[in-house]
Amino acid sequence: MSRPTWKRILWQRQPYPDNYIPADSFLASLRRNPNFTPYTYWPLVLACCPITQHLGTIFIFVAVFVRLQQRSLDARVLLWISVACFLAGYLVWEVLNYSAPPRGPSSRFKALKSSLLFFLTLMGLAPVLRTLTAATSSDSIWALSACQFLLNTLLADYGCTNAGSQSQERLTSVLSMNAAVSSSVVLASRLPDDLSVFSLVLFAVHLFALFPMLRHRFGVVPPILQVTLTVSISALSFSLIMSLSPFVTALTFGIYVTVNVVAPGVLVWAQRYKNEIRGPWDVAVPRVNGNEIQCN
Amino acid sequence: MVSDFFHPNVGGVENHIFMLSANLIRRGHKVIVITHSHPPDRVGIRWLLPSLKVYHIPFPTIASSATLPNYFTFLPYFRTIIVREHINLVHAHASLSSLGQEAILHSHFFGVRTVFTDHSLFGFEDAASILTNKLLAAALKNVDAVICVSHTGRENTVLRGQLFETSEDNPSVSAVRPSVYTIPNALVAEQFTPSPQPRPTDTINIVVLSRLAYRKGIDLLVATAPRVCAAFPNVKFIVGGDGPKLNDLLQVRERHLLQERIELLGSVRHRDVRDILTRGSIFLNTSLTESFGIAILEAACTGLYVVSTRVGGVPEILPEDMISFAYPDEDDVFRAVSEAIQIISEGKHDPQEAHERVKGFYDWMQVAERTERVYQGVIQSEQIDFCTRIQRTMSLGPFAGPIYTVILLVDCLFFMILEWLMPRGDLDHRYSRSLLENPL
Repeated sequence: MSRPTWKRILWQRQPYPDNYIPADSFLASLRRNPNFTPYTYWPLVLACCPITQHLGTIFIFVAVFVRLQQRSLDARVLLWISVACFLAGYLVWEVLNYSAPPRGPSSRFKALKSSLLFFLTLMGLAPVLRTLTAATSSDSIWALSACQFLLNTLLADYGCTNAGSQSQERLTSVLSMNAAVSSSVVLASRLPDDLSVFSLVLFAVHLFALFPMLRHRFGVVPPILQVTLTVSISALSFSLIMSLSPFVTALTFGIYVTVNVVAPGVLVWAQRYKNEIRGPWDVAVPRVNGNEIQCN
Repeated sequence: MVSDFFHPNVGGVENHIFMLSANLIRRGHKVIVITHSHPPDRVGIRWLLPSLKVYHIPFPTIASSATLPNYFTFLPYFRTIIVREHINLVHAHASLSSLGQEAILHSHFFGVRTVFTDHSLFGFEDAASILTNKLLAAALKNVDAVICVSHTGRENTVLRGQLFETSEDNPSVSAVRPSVYTIPNALVAEQFTPSPQPRPTDTINIVVLSRLAYRKGIDLLVATAPRVCAAFPNVKFIVGGDGPKLNDLLQVRERHLLQERIELLGSVRHRDVRDILTRGSIFLNTSLTESFGIAILEAACTGLYVVSTRVGGVPEILPEDMISFAYPDEDDVFRAVSEAIQIISEGKHDPQEAHERVKGFYDWMQVAERTERVYQGVIQSEQIDFCTRIQRTMSLGPFAGPIYTVILLVDCLFFMILEWLMPRGDLDHRYSRSLLENPL
């Protein structure tokens, strides 16, 4: 007597024991790694470029600070470099926004007004900033600024947005910027004269507040420019650190290689362990009006 | 029976434990329930109606009526109860109940055998699932048998609990343990009889009884209800239940001026369910995940035609001609509801006949009998010895394995201290008549 075939139903007693496991239909609807597109190495390396650029700016800043403190760099030179960087950056910004709807001269006028205002405020505040942490020992300052730079690196927004889309700043990226600026303020308070304090904080604002905004738009530039920028920023940081400390140079080099060469490789390698399990037990995603509604 | 989830709370698991216990008692076994206490008045020992003894352990709950997993503090209570009541087998319920998992951990010291019933489905992707799945895998490494309520639930539990073991003839192939059973829930068909007088055919009432939460797919209901009302002027909705999505429903009712046609009842007591069900002809379930779907069964038993989303174990519980399925998509739910309205208005669905059919499908006595067979299999099987337990626990993983092994060893030491501190001879023993007559 042949038994009826086993059916996946509960409403009927079947002539099979309760622990019968059908060989073919058990876990038949299990799907592993659906919608899985593996990462490839070179696009990942390109995607890591913003991280290297960010790290590069931090190292450049630290090197500039050390040189200012050792008085091997004139604060006036730094000031002029900052202003030149600002103008160059503003030009690039305008070029990248060329395709976006024209915002008229009023927004440019506003930008000019606010940058002048900021320039003057900072100039007025420089003596205050110089003596801000006079009562604190330098060791605490080094530790504090190191922690804040670490926080800045971890929380920074390395993504990119397209021109024209006015996306909201995320909380983490705002926190990141604040950490970097406050770190530079406490570092600046170790400097000997008002002009160095002023130029360092101005430089920091350019590097940590304005440059990330510009960097977010770099998603549209061709990869070759992205790579060129990354290489030149890291080369600049090398050349600034080289004469200060060979150890830090080696450390910097190690960090760059890890971030940009090794880490993408590790990610590509680790994908073989990806095991995403999907099946009928998953919570379905309801579609209303053609859009999926996520849990809130 | 050990679980965090029991009366006075209400729900699927609570009802399952109670009905199973009652039917096991009817079959001549002695059953006690261990759960946590509900201060101020549900403490100590309580008796429920068919001579079911309930121990309320004084543990505070942390969230949704579950206690904090602490592994050791339960052991003194548990040991006393097991020795006092002469327990041979522990049956833990629900994967999120830490009392149940701890009972499985402790039971082996007394030579008491363990069975575990899983009632819910879990995913694998979010942090909470990963953590609870690891806890479950640890508990299930050494359990003697696992019961699941649906075939989908069984697949899910096998994957979550890693219930694989290498078969003896071919060590390279790992097969599912033979001690994983599927025994469905059941319902008391007498409590869900259709109303004797025929329903009016001019208006069709669609009943929705569910917690109004995201997981129950209330977004789909909110989207489809106005469309159904616009397309069929003779259709009304009756929605029972409460929850975070109630506001969405109220808003949509206001916006489309459907106060007359969407009736919101608020939370419904279980004993009123049948009266609400008999008012309708179609039951709509938009749940996004469902391991068994007892509400669907109750509705079908009351003679309603069921429209449900095709999720989890729902496709297994009723034959295709008593239920219409939809994908969790607004347009498809609308299509399925329209189909159902068509069927009802043509009079193709006979409530009385549906009731008779469902009555034949599910029966608690049968469930108790099948569960009893699992118990017998477990008691006859050989007990896992301590070395195998440690080996199995170590195989959990490089991190979790040693952690759980340490827990196991400390628990063992604690057990020995208890044996020395409170010798078994000093505990007062309790002999009941049914035990003497029918030692399981």
